Formats: sequence, structure tokens, C-alpha cells
Amino acid sequence: MEHQTRVYENVFEMMPSEENPTPLVRINRLNVHAEFPLYAKLEWMNPFGSVKDRAAWELLRDLEERGKLNNGRGLVEPTSGNTGISLAALARARGHRLLAIVPNKVPHEKKVLLKIAGADLEIVSDELCPAPGLGDGSINLAKTYAKAQSHKYVMPNQYENENNVEAHIKTTGPEIWKQTKGRITHLFTSLGTCGTVTGVGRFLRTKNPKIRIVAVQPTEGHDVPGLRNVSQLEVSKLFDPSLVDDILELDFNLAYTRALDLCQNEGLLAGPSSGLILEGALQIAARDQRGFGVMIFPDNIFKYTSNMIKHIPGLEP
Amino acid sequence: MTEYAHPEVLVDTDWVKQNLGKPGIKLVEVDVDTKAYDAGHIAGSVGFNWQSQLQDQVRRDIISKQEFEKLLSAAGVSPSDTVILYGDNNNWFASYAFWLFKMYGHQDVRLMNGGRVKWLNESDKELTAEPTKITPTQYRASEPDLSLRTLLPEVLKVQTEKRHNLVDVRSPDEFTGKVIAPPGMTETAQRGGHIPGAKSIPWSTAANPDGTFKSADELRKIYLEEKGVDPQKDTIAYCRIGERSSHTWVVLKYLLGLPNVKNYDGSWTEYGSIVGAPIEK
Repeated sequence: MEHQTRVYENVFEMMPSEENPTPLVRINRLNVHAEFPLYAKLEWMNPFGSVKDRAAWELLRDLEERGKLNNGRGLVEPTSGNTGISLAALARARGHRLLAIVPNKVPHEKKVLLKIAGADLEIVSDELCPAPGLGDGSINLAKTYAKAQSHKYVMPNQYENENNVEAHIKTTGPEIWKQTKGRITHLFTSLGTCGTVTGVGRFLRTKNPKIRIVAVQPTEGHDVPGLRNVSQLEVSKLFDPSLVDDILELDFNLAYTRALDLCQNEGLLAGPSSGLILEGALQIAARDQRGFGVMIFPDNIFKYTSNMIKHIPGLEP
Repeated sequence: MTEYAHPEVLVDTDWVKQNLGKPGIKLVEVDVDTKAYDAGHIAGSVGFNWQSQLQDQVRRDIISKQEFEKLLSAAGVSPSDTVILYGDNNNWFASYAFWLFKMYGHQDVRLMNGGRVKWLNESDKELTAEPTKITPTQYRASEPDLSLRTLLPEVLKVQTEKRHNLVDVRSPDEFTGKVIAPPGMTETAQRGGHIPGAKSIPWSTAANPDGTFKSADELRKIYLEEKGVDPQKDTIAYCRIGERSSHTWVVLKYLLGLPNVKNYDGSWTEYGSIVGAPIEK
């Protein structure tokens, strides 16, 4: 494969790596802190449009290598959208099927996209007076399929599978270290499955133990797809609190307003989770004054037009 | 450590595993997510759909005695069977079904402590998607035991007399009227708030992180000492549509052994829609 000319024999060759990183783009108009440059890592430049391409690819290859997808067995996975889109498209391109268990609150656009990408969908209502420790309805339903119909389904389980972390140790972490030439002082990320924060965090700490890992989380009751409040984090076995220096709890409405700021001031058509991460990075830049920040921007705005209209009524044409 | 007042109403997942397939033991799964049973269930269990099988399909009510008999006959249950109920969301609708079984006089009905999630997460427990083979029976039920259920006229009377414990088991935001129902729920009411004098004790207060009920000592401390439920008084539990309150009803009546506990299955969707009914926020 030839990354210079960007001519590839198949889509798998486009998957990110140290030699083929997603871009880092500096924030110019929205960051007034001259001594604290902030760079956004544009994960929507991945082939299937989000940071989840990395984990999906690692999870899929691991299952293939272990022979778990032989004899027509397909995948079943609880997904809020992005993992499902990556996993469905990758799986279909490799000749496998994916049953995606999707929480009802996921935006309509994402559900349609999952089907377009080739997933079979099952939609469950998750937000029914949840109790701590109970787990998600979508996770439990996926586990049920994998347990009761193991001849038909295997569950990668992005919430518990160390390959989710491994993907970022192998790719995202080394990319950032190389792209910043080791200058990074702060990493800004969100919390979902926690594969990104744990994987990138672990890698960067091996290079420089002083790098601060900052995670943002939306306030409780939020509707930011893919993100979790710490109170919802027990479902993710990949969360390693010892790695994270700061967890900022931010008003979830800022996810939407900051995403709009990025679109209209930086030319970065970033989605709501990126908006929340930018807000966290700006707060830390104001606090710490000096540094070199890298923000993981998980995906772009195109899937979230209905969410944006809900939070920013002026967008209604 | 003290025991539950009626420990016989609970079995644990290991007990169920050891007794799978034994004659006289029938497993019934009742979930909030009505797709869960088809995706996978404990071998030999039958699945009841709370929306289409446990409620009258025309008027708002529990199923009639005849419908209950028809349902259990088709499920292959005999009145002498030990029925083990389990389900998702900490046995919400399994508890509702438990209440219904008690209402219609089934002698030996029990809950699998922790419900389907506990079973699902235990590596030695299996699930199957194979349909269960059923031999239908001729089930005969008793007339409904109305001492277990309260209806609106009694609730309105009780509310003025202030001689009962009223236990509101909904989330704090529903209790204060910040929301009328949890997001996305179709069953709702005209007004938010709670019945005057009710104590807010969310159903999940009674549950451990693994979905099982807390110990008798913990429950006694929470309900009687901290929240002030008076064991000398009659008690009514309510929620939004009567399923979460069934969970608390089991706690108060069978685990703590309070003398007279009723489930108000009309709950907030009824009370919060009545013209002129007093409401506190």
C-alpha cells in the first residue's frame, strides 16, 4: 500500500496507523491561550467515519484469528451507533453479519446508517428508571444472544474486551506521540467504553509519565450519544481511574453549542462529543496556562442534525 | 443477622439450576423488554408478555380470573406447581406477575432472586432459544384476593385519613414532579408530583448491585428506621403503572413481613390524572 499517493487495494489498507495517522488540526479562533495550543485529532477521517473504526477493526481481526467467525457465525454487539457502523461495514466487507442492539435514544440517522452499513437492528428501551449496577438493557440483550445462541452469534463486547484498549495502544497513542514529536502535555478525551482513554493514556504514560489525561463527562440526564456520565460507567470494565488526572463534569448542553462553535469558527464539522471535549480543553488551558493539548474528536456533525435542532432551536430552517 | 419474614418466596439462581426440569416446578419469565425471552431464556421456562398477557386488552385492569386461568392452562401450570418467576430489570414485571399469582390464589409462587441479569452473568448458567414444549393443563384460580390490591376510592380516602403508610417508589424526579414519567415512557399522567403524605423510597433502595434484594437487616434499617415506615400501620405502595411498586410490595409484605400491604396498580398514571385529587410537589 502507498500512503503517499493514497491508492489502496481495499478499504482495510486505509485503517489508521503510525504511518497513516488521522490528521491533527490546530484550534485557532476559539482558543485564546497562546501558550497552550490545542490540536484536534480528527477521528472522522477514518474510513467509516469515527474513532470506533480502530476498536472495531481490532475486535474483528481478533475474532477472525481465533476462528470465532467460522461456519457462518455472526457478531452481536450493543452499540450506540459508531461502533456498530464501523463493525457492520467492516464485517460485511469481510463476509460476516452483525446484529446491533441499539438503545432507543440513539438518533434516527444513526439507526438508518447502521442498516445502510449492513447491520441487522434490534432496538431496546434503556432509560427506564435505571438502577446502579444493573447494566444496560442493550448489553444484557446482546449477552443473551451470545449465550443462548452461541452457534449463531459471538459478542466482541467493546465494554469489556481488552482489544478495544489494545487498538489505541497500537495506533492512536503512537500516532499522537509521533505527530506532536513528543511535545504533548495534555490529552483530552471523553468517556464511553473508555477504550480510547485507557489505551491512549497507557501508551502516552510509557513515553512521558507527566502527561495529564483529562476526561470530560456530560452532566447526569444527558442525551449526548456515545458518552457516559461517571454514574453510568460501571458497565465499562475498561475504565482505569488511576490513569485519569481530571474528570470534568460539564453541562451537556455545551456539547451542542461548542460543536456549533467548531463548525462556524474553525471549519471543523465536529459532533457533540467533540464539542464537550473542546469545552473541557479550554477550561484546562485557562487553568494551566501553558501546555500542548491534543483532543480526540470522535466523529463529525452529520449524524446529529436532529439532536442539534433539539438543543439549538435557531437551527430549524 | 435476621431472616426475611417469609424467606420461602425467594430462591437463588443455584437453586433454580439444581431444580431445572424437576416435576412440579415451573419457570416463568416476565420481562420489561418483551424481546428478551425470545433471544434466550432458561431451559423449560415459558415467557409471559406483560403488555399483551398480564393486562386486560380492552379496559385498564389486570386480567380477569378467566383470563388468568386460560394463561396458566396454556403455560402448562397446575395449581399445585411451584412457580418460579424471574425477569429483567431486577424482576420488576416478575414481581408484578408474583402479585398477580398471589391475587389469584396460587399457593407456591417464588421469585428467582436477582432475576435474569444475575443468571445471565453467571458463567455456569445456560440460556437457550429453543421453544419450551408445553402440555396444557386445566388451571383453576381462586377469586381475586382484594386485600392485596387497592383502588382509587380507597387511595383517596386513605389520603385524607393519614393513617396509612404511603410509599412512592418512583425516582426522585417523578416524586417531586420535575418529570411526570421517565424519558420515553408512553404511559404518563396529566400532572406531576405525589400523593400528599407519601414517603419517597425509590424501588432500587431495596436492591443490591447484582440485582438481589438487600438483607433483612438492611431493609429493616432503610424502610423502618431511616424512612419511617410504621409497621403498625397499613401500607400502600405505588409507582407509575404498578410494576416497580410490586417489587417494593414484595419487600414490605414478604421480606419485612408488614401485616397489611397493598399494591396500588393504578398508581400515578391514574392518580395524577384525576380532576381535583390533591397533589403535593
